[in-house]
Amino acid sequence: MSHKPTITDSLQFSADSKLPTYLFGAGLAGLILSAIGYFTNTDQFFFSYLVSFTFFTGIAVASVFMVLFHHITKSKWGVVFRRIPETIGANLWIWTIFVLPVILGIHNLYHWSHEDAVATDHILQAKSAYLNTPFFIVRQFIYFAIWGFVGRKLYKASVDLEKTGDWGITSLMRKISAPAIPLFAFSLTFAGFDWLMSLDPHWFSTMFGVYYFAISFQAFWAVMILMAYFLHSQGYLKNTIVQAHIYDLGAWLFAFTVFYAYIAFSQFLLIYYANLPEETLWFYDRLEGGFQYIAYGMLLFRFALPFLVLLNREQKHRKNVLIFVAVVVVVMHFLELYWIAMPTMHPEEAHGLHFSWMDLTTFIGLGGIFFGLFFRQFKKNSMIPENDPKLDACLEKTYHH
Amino acid sequence: MSTSNDQNTELYGILAEFRNPKELVDVSKKIVEAGYDKFDTYSPFPIHGIDKAMSLEKSKLGWIVLGHGLLGFTLAISMMYFMAVVDYPLNISGKPFFNAPAWVPITFELTVLLSAFGAVFGMFFLNGLPKHHNPLFNVERFKKATDDGFFVCIEARDSKFHADQVQQLLEAAGATHIEEVYD
Repeated sequence: MSHKPTITDSLQFSADSKLPTYLFGAGLAGLILSAIGYFTNTDQFFFSYLVSFTFFTGIAVASVFMVLFHHITKSKWGVVFRRIPETIGANLWIWTIFVLPVILGIHNLYHWSHEDAVATDHILQAKSAYLNTPFFIVRQFIYFAIWGFVGRKLYKASVDLEKTGDWGITSLMRKISAPAIPLFAFSLTFAGFDWLMSLDPHWFSTMFGVYYFAISFQAFWAVMILMAYFLHSQGYLKNTIVQAHIYDLGAWLFAFTVFYAYIAFSQFLLIYYANLPEETLWFYDRLEGGFQYIAYGMLLFRFALPFLVLLNREQKHRKNVLIFVAVVVVVMHFLELYWIAMPTMHPEEAHGLHFSWMDLTTFIGLGGIFFGLFFRQFKKNSMIPENDPKLDACLEKTYHH
Repeated sequence: MSTSNDQNTELYGILAEFRNPKELVDVSKKIVEAGYDKFDTYSPFPIHGIDKAMSLEKSKLGWIVLGHGLLGFTLAISMMYFMAVVDYPLNISGKPFFNAPAWVPITFELTVLLSAFGAVFGMFFLNGLPKHHNPLFNVERFKKATDDGFFVCIEARDSKFHADQVQQLLEAAGATHIEEVYD
């Protein structure tokens, strides 16, 4: 029963692949076009940028989260694709650069950053111990210091383990992961408060942090499914990441679809039911002016459709079904962040929902850089953590009907 | 192997013991190949892949659960509709009588409750439980099935059942112990 599984695939992403170059090219083009937008419509530029920024940062932080709980639970199921989130985490320290526009655009984005507005607003005065510009800037660097450090550290530990074959490194990974889980939970919560919730500084929801976590994590599983199939389409890891592993990703996507719905709806229901003016206004703004279509769209395409489609076990390993659901979830994730942020800029009084070309260019810009960084790093080392003590058990996984 | 047969007992099947889960999986495949379909395997713990080896069709339990879930969903909606819209409409902070968001928790709970009932009682129903007596309990050795024994029993009601052929098949598959079971 115990034979060592052999890997028949090449484990090295082609070193002379031009993919990172193309992605960086697309990313730069997107960012340059967006920079033109900065001069034509500064507010729109910053809001569009914020949506794309929170989109990719949330997925990146969710990636490290997955590595953390994979280590802490001594999991075997995901060893074959653990290198993908590890590599995303390894780049998080570079991603600090991209929080700078949010800091620079603080006056365009955040009403509470205007001192004259705070001077006449009792609520903002009460919140000014937290919502003030210097502390906001300091917090951004604290978040990225935590994420960048842990992401880099776990990536390096994984590569060291691969190179040296020293299984003692697995206990180092657990020692990093255990304290990192509460650190990540708090930092992501406050990042969600800072970036998205404070757009409407009079409003508050204590579960907004877990809401940002839930939407990002659901999208993360969709991205993982697309990434696995992308590698397959390039001829990589076809016999390494097999149906049993893909099935697990499908099951995770299903689980987090339910988790997302639970969190998002709970937040809505409590506010709707209590009917307190300072809480309901946020949803009021987001259920009019065209934004209600996105809200109903989320109910249908971010919960109902993935839930019903992935409910049956057979569907969770059908390639076309999974890709379709994953794409829908990723699109809805973008729209949900748009739905959170944009009503602050485009309330119903000012035409309501209308998309700008900068929504697209900032997305392409940040996405190109994000995946360019990813593939640049991904081709430097093996695509799976070789020599990992649990790799064999993971490779042996078979799908049981 | 006893052949002594009481007058008022009849042959229930032939029970064979195997050394480990792998042998049980292998013999299940052989039994299916030989064309038997009235047989079952018994082990102290669940064995991955045994259902496939035994060529069991996919359980219908999922459909039973789905049916009960939909029933719970419908019951919840119609109950609240009757109460809050038809029978005793109350204006609660100006919200509509058909207050869909507020109805979600109860709808969810009843859907889950009836699904759980469907799962538990549907499982009992499909398993044929509760069952007070099973002829296998007449076999002293069978107690090992809850400890370290891996058994397969080919039942006499199988249309292809011939005691000699079954014995041969199980012996050839490497059974450590073969016994006839009477009811």
